[in-house]
Amino acid sequence: MKLSLSSVYTPYSFPIILKSYAFSNLCKPFCSSALSSSPPISLKPQVPLFLRPPIYSTKFCDFKKWHDWAKGIASSIGSTFVNSDNGPDSSILCRELKWLMEDAVEDHSLFSKMGFENYDERVKMRVGIEELYDLWKERIEKRRPFQYVVGCEHWRDLVLSVQEGVLIPRPETELIVDFVCDVVSKNEDLKRGVWADLGTGSGALAIGIGGASGIGGRVIATDINPVSVAVAAYNVQRYCLQDKIEVREGSWFEPLKDIEGKLAGLVSNPPYIPSKEISGLQAEVGRHEPRVALDGGIDGMDYLFHLCDGAALFLKPGGYFAFETNGEQQCRALVDYMKNKRSESLCNFEIVADFAGIQRFVIGFHH
Amino acid sequence: MAHKLIWKWKPTFMLPLTFNSQSKHVIRFHHHPFSSLKIHHPINYTTTAAAAANTSNNGDCVKAKEFLELTDEELVRQCEMDFLKSSGAGGQHRNKRESAVRLKHLPTGIIAQASEDRSQHMNRDSAVKRLRALIALKVRKTVDLDAYSPPRELLQILPPKSTVRGSEIGPQIGPKNQKFALGMQALLDLIFAVEGSISEAAKYIGLSTGALSRLILSDDSLRKEVNDLRASKGMKPLK
Repeated sequence: MKLSLSSVYTPYSFPIILKSYAFSNLCKPFCSSALSSSPPISLKPQVPLFLRPPIYSTKFCDFKKWHDWAKGIASSIGSTFVNSDNGPDSSILCRELKWLMEDAVEDHSLFSKMGFENYDERVKMRVGIEELYDLWKERIEKRRPFQYVVGCEHWRDLVLSVQEGVLIPRPETELIVDFVCDVVSKNEDLKRGVWADLGTGSGALAIGIGGASGIGGRVIATDINPVSVAVAAYNVQRYCLQDKIEVREGSWFEPLKDIEGKLAGLVSNPPYIPSKEISGLQAEVGRHEPRVALDGGIDGMDYLFHLCDGAALFLKPGGYFAFETNGEQQCRALVDYMKNKRSESLCNFEIVADFAGIQRFVIGFHH
Repeated sequence: MAHKLIWKWKPTFMLPLTFNSQSKHVIRFHHHPFSSLKIHHPINYTTTAAAAANTSNNGDCVKAKEFLELTDEELVRQCEMDFLKSSGAGGQHRNKRESAVRLKHLPTGIIAQASEDRSQHMNRDSAVKRLRALIALKVRKTVDLDAYSPPRELLQILPPKSTVRGSEIGPQIGPKNQKFALGMQALLDLIFAVEGSISEAAKYIGLSTGALSRLILSDDSLRKEVNDLRASKGMKPLK
């Protein structure tokens, strides 16, 4: 199966601006600011809220007024979102509100004073109070994911920048880093080799395995989406891993042609949701996250099969792979596929459950 | 695969997360971590419990104190771990940031959980820290009073004026230091052995009754444990 740009982009409602930009394909992401006359989206990644300078100042009473307003809205939601699409309830929204305050306000000791009425002090913030109103409105009314509101997601021990156009890394995927740490701790050859994270999104898996596993070799992260490439590169730099992790723009294995048959390890959390399920997704996911990162085709397996085919070609003998799937059905279908079609190169397949007990991952080796 | 050894999954056990932003606030901004924990009765660590414990590499049973000497990973290996997740398809389908972690230490039945952090990974670390403190508080060893000599980890948490504490022990370790748990465990072992009498215990570690009281009162969880014991013996609580 060969993927081209058009086959990935055309069926979906990916933002028009990005689409034309992707097709223009003129420059590497970090040069984009030089082309300010091109489409009005900058590929300079957004700085997460918690990293912005605290240059705004607000009276405490105004901040408290905002807080009480925001909390009131969160409480009024009750289980409305839960009933409509299994979205967040009031308690989750209140927790998010607390986290938003932590990211927006410089001095966290303030939060213990929220009960006082006439606390005569100014609050230093990383965002203006008007924008705080807008941000919370977007969270509630538009169901904009909390992670896009604050521009980051806490994942393992990392805080990764995320923004519209980039999949928010999921807690399930954290486990793949543990698998890799485990396998490289027992295998010097894998530890020294080159690893790849395909469809890296925010760069979570690449940074997770590059930083935590003691991998001595390089990690190459690929993504077809230029926004993801820019954000992943930003996150790599934030963790000072640019010498170890290289982010390449392109579809799946295309940017890896120079290392065909040489990869020590391959990890991926590809789009795996069956197309017909996209419309029924929780609003935060379905309305806001990039469809290219979610939609895995009719049965959700298009890219998983492609990854298996690529693993057979690109892994070196003894190489390791770990893929995330939609669940038990996909895991089984994938293992069946590899046993029937790729058994001359791939072996030792195993299905591993996530922390909620869902058969989530397929792992295995190259002969 | 060896990664299965790292944790024991318990897939079917799912609890809804009840969330109280007020109480979480308390956990986050105070150093004392136990306000959300289920507290069990003291576990007298005898051969029965030892038999249930995992065995270490050389085949010996893991002893009470040794739980705290395990690395985090070894300790977690003795645990059943639940991630308190809402049900559903999970993965790419979901955006709910359920990141609570619950550890049940199988040899002792002690449960520790953490949910205040934004990442699951960090909550796992917090849960392990709490588990260590709870093991120190709840797992008791029998002490032979006739041949008693305070172990080093206990000497380390004593104030310098203790007459049995040599200068080679180094500076006093306070409740915020991770090593305090080991010393606290040894102190509780002694206090349990003398059935809650502070004046008796003080004699064994070269302190005045007042100085030992102050040490006990310096840590909320230690004070609670001692006072629970004293209450069970009909003694007045330390204040």
